[in-house]
Amino acid sequence: MLPIDAAAHSSRWRRRHPVDKAVLGLGLTVLAISLPPWPGAALVLVTALVALLGPAGVPRRRLWRAYRVPLGFCVTGAATLLVQVGGPGGFVSLADEGPVRAGELLLRTSAASLGVLLFAFTTPMSDLLPRLVQAGVPAPVVDVALVTYRMSFLLLDSVRRIRDAQAARLGHTTRAATWRSLAGLGATAFVRAFDRAARLQTGLAGRGYDGTLRVLVPEARVSVRFTAASTALLAALAALTFVLERPLS
Amino acid sequence: MHIAEGFLPPAHAVAWGAASAPFVVHGVRSLTREVREHPESTLLLGASGAFTFVLSALKLPSVTGSCSHPTGTGLGAILFRPPVMAVLGTITLLFQALLLAHGGLTTLGANVFSMAIVGPWAGYGVYRLLRRYDVPLMVAVFCGAFVADLSTYCVTSVQLALAFPDPGSGFLGALGKFGAIFAVTQIPLAVSEGLLTVLVMRLLVQSSKGELTRLGVLLAGNKSEAVAR
Repeated sequence: MLPIDAAAHSSRWRRRHPVDKAVLGLGLTVLAISLPPWPGAALVLVTALVALLGPAGVPRRRLWRAYRVPLGFCVTGAATLLVQVGGPGGFVSLADEGPVRAGELLLRTSAASLGVLLFAFTTPMSDLLPRLVQAGVPAPVVDVALVTYRMSFLLLDSVRRIRDAQAARLGHTTRAATWRSLAGLGATAFVRAFDRAARLQTGLAGRGYDGTLRVLVPEARVSVRFTAASTALLAALAALTFVLERPLS
Repeated sequence: MHIAEGFLPPAHAVAWGAASAPFVVHGVRSLTREVREHPESTLLLGASGAFTFVLSALKLPSVTGSCSHPTGTGLGAILFRPPVMAVLGTITLLFQALLLAHGGLTTLGANVFSMAIVGPWAGYGVYRLLRRYDVPLMVAVFCGAFVADLSTYCVTSVQLALAFPDPGSGFLGALGKFGAIFAVTQIPLAVSEGLLTVLVMRLLVQSSKGELTRLGVLLAGNKSEAVAR
């Protein structure tokens, strides 16, 4: 299981309905990209961080490991705004408003990422996917997504073992050997995926498979109190932003 | 290269979502029809989605000495065809956003457009064109994967340039800026992905003739010739 999903399964909010967590987590993300970066995104960032480390109880180290991935993309992307092409300063020169634009972008992306992480760290995929049918996603697509989700872990595990076996046989010592090993890895993943699908098909056919995959979903109700509190928090953040709004510079 | 969460302004995020929607809806309809007619396809398509997800997790040695990962769009499009790849790619990108924190939900539309629509269609188009003129299978596979990878990054550059025009030279300057950054890393990576796809396809032709025939990549009873679908 992947670290974020594993953390979601043991989260304090695991038993809450995904809608509760979507209102808060994805609401924060929407606010982060809609409000002025300063002070809107900064307020969202602090709120999401407090919610993640406080009530949601996400371990700091796990959060940092997941957060540094999007943060790396954000920093790389924001760095390009520091320079401009053409103009009086030469072919490439420092942009006048570059640091402000880069800072605003960093605030916005880092706050928005935390909002999604709040949702991801508290909502296991196995709780979310079956409920997508109620949201209007066609059942066959949800079934394919469910099989994809469950098979991904098995395949990732297989790939890890094959890679270890290749390394033990000096399969990664030279560049040529690495390429051969990588190609073998990709082809074996393909063969195993289709082999598992065929075996699953045989097993399900023996159990009267009629084309629908029925799975047990833990019962949970949308909490009116939680969603109302989340909506009030989002509204308060938006109001506070407009009160405090000042240019970042 | 996934565009990170919150990177695009709201109007751009919505616009790219709207641009992707018709392709994804078309793919969903094809997939739904296929599953209703052949219920066993659910498992095969799920396996294909898992394969695409795992393929994007493989680390690829780069010519520059660093590592990256293949987009998998070229191989996916050749094996499963672009309409199906639009759906599988969307599912994969959703999983990557929620399980790996790669990409994002507000940028899902933009990422789907570059990785699950333009990449597969461009790569598949080149593959089909070359096969029509009897170019050897492996050459066509290499070119398909190369173009799929590179077109994905070209579209990402356009998306970023539209969102962040250069203060001095506007859209074109920004396109040059983002394009130059990607060109340094992505042209070698596109070559690498093309080579890897050829190696994988060679092994698949040897070991999985049945599956490739079922997918329509190979003619029944002929190991080396691809069907011009």
